[in-house]
Amino acid sequence: MTQDVEMREVPVASNSVSSSVPLTLQHLKEIASLIETGAYAKEVRRIFHAVRLTIALRKKLKASILSAFLNSVLVPSSEAHARLISYLPKDAVEDMEIDTATSAAQGPLKHSLPEIEIYCHLLVLIFLIDHKLYNEAKVCASASINRVKSVNRRTVDVLASRLYFYYSYVHELTDSLAEIRGTLLSLHRMATLRHDELGQETLLNLLLRNYLHYNLYDQAEKLRSKAPRFEAHNNQQFCRYLFYVGKIRTIQLDYTDAKDSLLQAARKAPISARGFRIQCNKWAVIVRLLLGEMPERTVFMQTGMKKALRPYFELTNAVRIGDLELFRNVAEKFSSTFSTDRTHNLIVRLRHNVIRTGLRNISISYSRISLVDVARKLRLDSSNPVADAESIVAKAIRDGAIDATLDHASGCMLSKETGDVYSTLEPQMAFNSRIAFCLNMHNEAVKALRFPPNSHKKEKESAEKRRERQQQEQELAKHIAEEDDDEF
Amino acid sequence: MFIVCSKRPFVLPCSWSGFLRERKIERAVSRPLPYLRCERARGDVPSLELDSVALLSRHLHRRSLAMDPKLTEVSQIFERFKAAFVRSDFDTCRRLLSQLKVLLTEFPSLPPLFQKTANAVHELTLAREIYEHAVVLSVKTEDQDAFERDFFQLKPYYTDTCGLIPPSPQEYPILGLNLLRLLVQNRIAEFHTELELLPASALENPYIKHAVELEQSFMEGAYNRVLSARQTVPHDTYVYFMDLLAKTVRDEIGGCSEKAYDYLSVADAKQIMMFSSDQELAEYIEVEHPEWEIKDGSVIFQKAKETAPCKEIPSLQLINQTLSYARELERIV
Repeated sequence: MTQDVEMREVPVASNSVSSSVPLTLQHLKEIASLIETGAYAKEVRRIFHAVRLTIALRKKLKASILSAFLNSVLVPSSEAHARLISYLPKDAVEDMEIDTATSAAQGPLKHSLPEIEIYCHLLVLIFLIDHKLYNEAKVCASASINRVKSVNRRTVDVLASRLYFYYSYVHELTDSLAEIRGTLLSLHRMATLRHDELGQETLLNLLLRNYLHYNLYDQAEKLRSKAPRFEAHNNQQFCRYLFYVGKIRTIQLDYTDAKDSLLQAARKAPISARGFRIQCNKWAVIVRLLLGEMPERTVFMQTGMKKALRPYFELTNAVRIGDLELFRNVAEKFSSTFSTDRTHNLIVRLRHNVIRTGLRNISISYSRISLVDVARKLRLDSSNPVADAESIVAKAIRDGAIDATLDHASGCMLSKETGDVYSTLEPQMAFNSRIAFCLNMHNEAVKALRFPPNSHKKEKESAEKRRERQQQEQELAKHIAEEDDDEF
Repeated sequence: MFIVCSKRPFVLPCSWSGFLRERKIERAVSRPLPYLRCERARGDVPSLELDSVALLSRHLHRRSLAMDPKLTEVSQIFERFKAAFVRSDFDTCRRLLSQLKVLLTEFPSLPPLFQKTANAVHELTLAREIYEHAVVLSVKTEDQDAFERDFFQLKPYYTDTCGLIPPSPQEYPILGLNLLRLLVQNRIAEFHTELELLPASALENPYIKHAVELEQSFMEGAYNRVLSARQTVPHDTYVYFMDLLAKTVRDEIGGCSEKAYDYLSVADAKQIMMFSSDQELAEYIEVEHPEWEIKDGSVIFQKAKETAPCKEIPSLQLINQTLSYARELERIV
């Protein structure tokens, strides 16, 4: 699951490794200068861009390149430099000496901006994780977190939020998530106090993930409902949030909201995040089944998901037919898949829906059927199937699943004539909900439009011009009006 | 007998395993009968050795506590509590329990502090046992609020002390009891949240399975299965909640019947709703469902059914919707 839910852009494959080494270093330096300008101009956007570029370089990172980069951007005698170098594997040290010589010649990049330092931390951490040096990565992550705590700059927030993510990620890989819960909570509090919304968003997700990893749905929901909410900054974080909310709601039987969140998460997730979308779809399928809806066939036929969704496809089929026997077989056949997906308990809940669908089918096909036959058709396996069938039918009638009456004396179920759906308000209601959805989508899209900063200033300058133009127009209008008057 | 025992030159290694065994045995002895029975049945404690070993262990237990006066005090009060518990003297129990709870707050090793003191293991085990008793006591005194409070106090001992003390044999019975309580109070969302916390293997445990199956039958509507489950309760303490559940089930059945049947003969109604006499049925109908009618030896539900839905166009709603569409379109164009 951890691997599946990972949501990251797939790095561009390098075509020539050998020639890319100096090139990579060059790229890293460019990124560093980008961060620098971003930090001076206080433009968070540039730092976002820098982080994106880094992810693309990820596969090409090597210890030698990293040490060269560290030498060039950090003051060699500084504490941060010494610490970061110590995390790198030892074989890089020989290369380092040569690099020091070259970088000393280049010279001009020497400075100690906190952004650059944090960026170096992030780079080293990513490198360590990619090379599976988890213990070093853990130490490095904790050190970075301590450093981040002491810096309070909005331009650092972007880098910090990435650091938090990898901090939690490395602990998840080593299965020690429970240890960092306290740290994450205090970081979240800190981010809230500093109005670091990006950090809050990231940390809230990490905490939710942390809780859900241990199935602590209660705590997760309590935290979620108490944490401050604001408009999402990062699409990926928002997707994750929706997914977690969907999961919590599903467990707490709030299926309608759960469905909305899960479907939205699946829709918003980037195409490359296939694993994440598969997870969303799995949960969404179950929630829709629990709601009594039938997911369309196309859901299971999406490219790249066909195989992963296969168990859920067969499950849907069993529910659609309303065959308890088949349902049991499917649940048994794929029980290992369901337990790794942690959906086993939800599938147990589905049994009830299978019975309902079966009952609905019976009620549609027969106008009068004995309860003995109902029990046989539903394949209820209990000591007293007829009595079970009677009370199950009674409950289905009360819940409005079927339109029928029971005759106890003759032991029969009498279905009522199904009326014409188009004579009811149902089509109108369905139509309304679709229109509402479309309108809402449009409004959200308008809200999500981004405008370049400072554009309103330009408008102010042109305000005088506009006044002039309006004046001219007014005069023109007066002229026309006078002309009109003249004609009379 | 106790004194005689203490004079004997017995030296048992106070090692880990020995200590654990001691605790378990002592617990078994001090419990009221039902516990004893169920532990014996599981073969934890060979019943023949039970008495002598228990006395010995209790003695050793006392001596090992001599170091810490606070711990000794708690253990002593707890012994008195257990004695009162066996006598079913619940008033004394309650009084002693509140004393115990106050005393427990002085141990730094207990949640949420979890300080690693010298006696941490001992204190945690003792505190867990006290809260387990408190939960069972609340069931016996039929106090659901107290149950909830005590259970939440107990829960950290089950979830957060995995590496510190060995799991309690009472864990699943009490968790199952809590599931049952949530079911009775119709807090299904919490029921499922609790269920998610249990590992897959726990679902096979008879105590948990009982509650899970009940929930399923309840959801499906197979009410007679819910009621027959009362005969197969895994533990005596479950009976209290099962009785409460039976009342809920009866209301459910009543609600379903009035929608599903046009009429029922009094005899059938009596059987379906599990009344032993016509008198009880009549009383129930009078109090809970005065709209039902008893006529010619049958219960008629017709009156309760709503009249045919009127085919009126909900004009106000439609106007509102259309206006909102217009407003939204205006905004777009």
